[in-house]
Amino acid sequence: MTTECVTVGKSVTRIDAAEKVTGSVQYVDDLPFGPSLLYGKLLHSPHAHALIKHLDATKALALPGVKAVVSGKDTPKPIGLYLKDRTIFPIDRVRYVGEVVAGVVATSEEIAEKALELIEVDYELLPAVFDPYLAAQPDAPLLHPDLGKYEVVNFVFPEPGTNVSEHFKLRKGDVDAAWPKCTAIIEDTFSLPQIQHVPIEPHIAVARWDKDNQVTLWAASQSPFAQRDLIAQSLDIPHGDLRVIAPYVGGGFGGKAGISIEANVVVMARAVKGTPVKVRMTREEEFLSTNVRQSLVGKYKIGVDGEGNLTAMQVEYYFGGGSSNEYGTNIARAAGYSCTGPYDCPNVKGDSRCVYTNTQIGSAMRGFGMPEIHWGLEQIMDRLADQIGMDRVEFRKRNCVRTGDTIVTGMKMPAIDLIKCIDLAAKGIGWGKKEAPTGPNKLRGKGIAIMWKAPAMPPNPGSSAIIRFNEDATANVFVGGQELGQGTFTVMAQIAAETLGIPYESIRMTVNPIDTRYSPYEWQTVASRLTWSMGNAVKAAAEDARFKILDTVAKYWKEDIKDLDIKNGVVVSYKSEREQPLKKMVVYGLPNENYEGWQGGPIVGSGKFMPTYVTNLDPDTGQGTRAVVHYTVGAQAVDLEVDTETGIVEVLKIVSAYDVGKAINPDLVLTQIEGGAVHGMSSAFEGYIYDEKGKMLNHSLVDYKIATSMDAPRKIQGEIVESAVEDGPYGARGVGEHVMVQTAPAMANAIADALGIRFNHLPLSAEKIYLAMLEKGIV
Amino acid sequence: MLHEITFKVNDETVTLAVKSHHTLLKALREQLGLTGAKIGCENGECGACTVLMDGEPVNACLVLAVEAEGHSIETIENLNKSGELHPLQKAFVKNNAIQCGFCTPGMLMMAKGYLAKNPNPTEDEVREALVGNLCRCTGYIRIIESVLEAAKEVA
Amino acid sequence: MQPFDYYKPKDFDEAFHLLNTPGKVVYPYAGGTDFIPMSRDGVWKCDAVVDIKGLPGMRDIQETPEGLFVGAAVRMNDIASSELVASHWDVLAQGAASVGSQQIRNRATLGGNMCTASPCADTPPALCVLNASVIIRNAQSERRVPIADFFKWVRKTAVQLGDIVIGVVIPRPAKGAYGSYIKLSRRKGSDLSLVSVAAFTYPNGKAANWKLALGAVAPIPVRSPEAEAILEDGTDEEHIERAAKAAADTSKPISDVRASEKYRKLMVANMTKRAVRMTLERRGKGG
Repeated sequence: MTTECVTVGKSVTRIDAAEKVTGSVQYVDDLPFGPSLLYGKLLHSPHAHALIKHLDATKALALPGVKAVVSGKDTPKPIGLYLKDRTIFPIDRVRYVGEVVAGVVATSEEIAEKALELIEVDYELLPAVFDPYLAAQPDAPLLHPDLGKYEVVNFVFPEPGTNVSEHFKLRKGDVDAAWPKCTAIIEDTFSLPQIQHVPIEPHIAVARWDKDNQVTLWAASQSPFAQRDLIAQSLDIPHGDLRVIAPYVGGGFGGKAGISIEANVVVMARAVKGTPVKVRMTREEEFLSTNVRQSLVGKYKIGVDGEGNLTAMQVEYYFGGGSSNEYGTNIARAAGYSCTGPYDCPNVKGDSRCVYTNTQIGSAMRGFGMPEIHWGLEQIMDRLADQIGMDRVEFRKRNCVRTGDTIVTGMKMPAIDLIKCIDLAAKGIGWGKKEAPTGPNKLRGKGIAIMWKAPAMPPNPGSSAIIRFNEDATANVFVGGQELGQGTFTVMAQIAAETLGIPYESIRMTVNPIDTRYSPYEWQTVASRLTWSMGNAVKAAAEDARFKILDTVAKYWKEDIKDLDIKNGVVVSYKSEREQPLKKMVVYGLPNENYEGWQGGPIVGSGKFMPTYVTNLDPDTGQGTRAVVHYTVGAQAVDLEVDTETGIVEVLKIVSAYDVGKAINPDLVLTQIEGGAVHGMSSAFEGYIYDEKGKMLNHSLVDYKIATSMDAPRKIQGEIVESAVEDGPYGARGVGEHVMVQTAPAMANAIADALGIRFNHLPLSAEKIYLAMLEKGIV
Repeated sequence: MLHEITFKVNDETVTLAVKSHHTLLKALREQLGLTGAKIGCENGECGACTVLMDGEPVNACLVLAVEAEGHSIETIENLNKSGELHPLQKAFVKNNAIQCGFCTPGMLMMAKGYLAKNPNPTEDEVREALVGNLCRCTGYIRIIESVLEAAKEVA
Repeated sequence: MQPFDYYKPKDFDEAFHLLNTPGKVVYPYAGGTDFIPMSRDGVWKCDAVVDIKGLPGMRDIQETPEGLFVGAAVRMNDIASSELVASHWDVLAQGAASVGSQQIRNRATLGGNMCTASPCADTPPALCVLNASVIIRNAQSERRVPIADFFKWVRKTAVQLGDIVIGVVIPRPAKGAYGSYIKLSRRKGSDLSLVSVAAFTYPNGKAANWKLALGAVAPIPVRSPEAEAILEDGTDEEHIERAAKAAADTSKPISDVRASEKYRKLMVANMTKRAVRMTLERRGKGG
């Protein structure tokens, strides 16, 4: 169809806006479970690394109101997405301060809290290691001596006998031969601490294990199907007997992907069969005991030739994966196959490792390895440009990836336009124009950074969708992907409406909650994959329904189906100009002449999408035909000021340009850009602070501060570039994570422009910046 | 210790039996089924539990339920009681100032309480007023715009 | 949160009777913005709380022959928006206005801020430069404690078991007095202070007296007599620089998760300059 889209490409009102703005949306904690609801509390390890010699719950069980205590003896079978390296409750050792050791079920939260104090655990302390580089050395304390025995997927390569749970090797060209050809080489180390998603809704789960062994789990979850799969395997529950119900999520950012405390709650429910058990993480527990973004120590060596072309890159990434790397191994892998950042370089040597450390579980977080590696990459690119006397924007335009390039894994780059993104960001920020500070005692600077990211998934993540019509020609769309706030329900409704040929207002997204019993399968709501993957499934389901409608009417009119179309809820024939409204016929069918029989019947469309072309990569070189499905690219420019009396940074403006393939809903893309810019800006100032024993010191919103309304920049300008993706619905791909990937290095680059000072180690802080200015003699 | 308290919630008088140490947030959510106010931190840091107490924004997690005696509490559920969306709600919807929605009830009640005392705020004043309401999704800019826009209609 | 009982006495007699219940730990209770978090954390454990907000005079802001009386249960936002407080005691309004967020300031009280006595509390420095006196009452008697003797140590004050802080009395400064409260946090808005400075000046004949109090850089708020003497000698840039250095030397900050001792000391100097300059600017504008 070459006609212009009716709904796709329009900034229609969000489909969930009205229910959210009236406070009538129910999140997990808002669901009523009746007076029999029991409350669970979790016992946390006080030690970073210790053997569990003995756990005695006798006194806790004797407390009136306590119904059960569960621990590792109740969960012998391992659990994990890519690598089954932990049990639901630990059996023989704890590996970080805060690790969940046991669960108490009681008639009230206060009683459960009191019972925790009565559980006696004997620990034998072991030496601990927190830094991922140190943890990867041969003399480091070993966190997982049985690493070699764990079940692992065939694209992850742990190194038994070490703390390395995944080692991705990238070998392209010959870096050793290439260094002599370089005119300028920069070698440096960068690092980032753990940070947390800080969704405003903390993790929460309710489980009920019925006496007939039907199990129901309500969870704030990005991954109801993955959770069902993992829990079913680990607890030997038939998949059909485990039902996961996931209502709207109050912020995910990856933290509610995979498994967190949900499996623990199911085990607690099993101990009190027939009664629901609720576990709500306090904000402190959210910091202490749920997932984090991995820390990183990154060692870079990058060289350019006399003309400023990138010639050789050597990178070593040590990701602090935490106590369990069952999900985090894929982060190191993704960072491995995308290790160059969005650049074209003929000689690359990359080693990306996920390393066990005695810290919180490093799992999926917005960007999935990309923010971590771009922090160093984008600052080195700036420095290389400076060293050869080339403008920082020009340097990037010269060296960035283009459509058709053979990128670092040997794959051909699908259609993207990063040059356009760079141009838009540079123009929007007024690149090249030195602007005066807005007041006294301020220094002002501009910085730019570019990025790329591919959805990091196994090769076969599937989406499916069902569309069902109602008598009045409204249509119910069923999917298994989750609305985290990113707008996916709206986008799916638009795709369905456009493809079916009915108004957007006729779509009913039948998705709150996502319910593994009724919703069609969706791998996970992660990787910025839903617009593309689930969108394809919805489009396929809509095409299926559309075909069934047109087929019925074509036969009814005795016309060629090729001459028929659906427009605004009416079947039209371009040939005969006849019309047939969808109302009623989509359920009842159409009567023959004189009511001599009927044709058609209820219209149900189904569709699926699963990429078929992702190939293996060579374990020694990382080369392969098709490493990933596609890349989304983008550029971000920052204009900021530093207060010379305090070191406080104020971001004046951020301009972001992303190539999304096709903006199904342009304004929703802009809202992602804005939210991501502030999230990225905030992430530069966030970081877990530990004492020397690995205990987190800032596990509350008092001392782990996130951006507030006063921190948001005055202006965020979003620009949308559209280079259609080959196999996306209407050409669309995702952008939800990309929008925050490079904000921290863009800010570092702007600070370098303002002060002439570089920062290699996050987090930034007013103090760090002020003391650096003092040392340099600026203040 | 149990207290029988009588107070107004959303213009209706209610009588409840509450425990001394339970917060107003707990009483609203669990005893009155008014789940619009959310549990985000229970420490007065995130503002997701913001309700109006005698017209003034407070963190319901930092008010003991028993203290509500004799006072008037307003929650998000009351904002469109007329059947039509409040100007603040309309502005939020129009400007896409909502993503996951979890901070939204607190934001709206904070804005409502603030505009009642400051009907014509500047952008900086709105930024400062909302500083106790955390949002991780939107980046705040559209929320601030919506409050400024609605201020004109509410005034 | 572990259970406790709640009482709302009608008068002081009943309040004191409850506070002195034998064998029970009973706390006075005001805004709850410190009590509830600390109780949740298990840091403050008690059998019961006594709500003192409704007792006579506790919510009053009024001018008396002695000066300004602010009741212990007066809320931060009421202080911040009071025309009476702004008329001569504006630096206190500035301190109150910097506490937390709107939601917190609609509940947090002056008495609570003082009695919790966190080293980074925002009303103590202003109270110090304004030379406030604290009225403390118990079942037997009432006493006045000068602000300089009220704060003893981190979270320790002159308040004893069985006491209720009634409020503060602040003498009326000479006409032409101005003050500024500068609070430095890690980011903008709603944060605990890393360093705070209250500066206050009032005419003394042809000269001007200066009072400077520092918050968050010692276990209790500290005055800096050396800095004050320098400012009383002159307020040109050279004097301000020296006063700032003297203030920094007075301070004894610690290093913690929020900031280092080194940065705090440097910031004492910079924030002292800001506080003095802002006060001079206010004086110059006459309002």
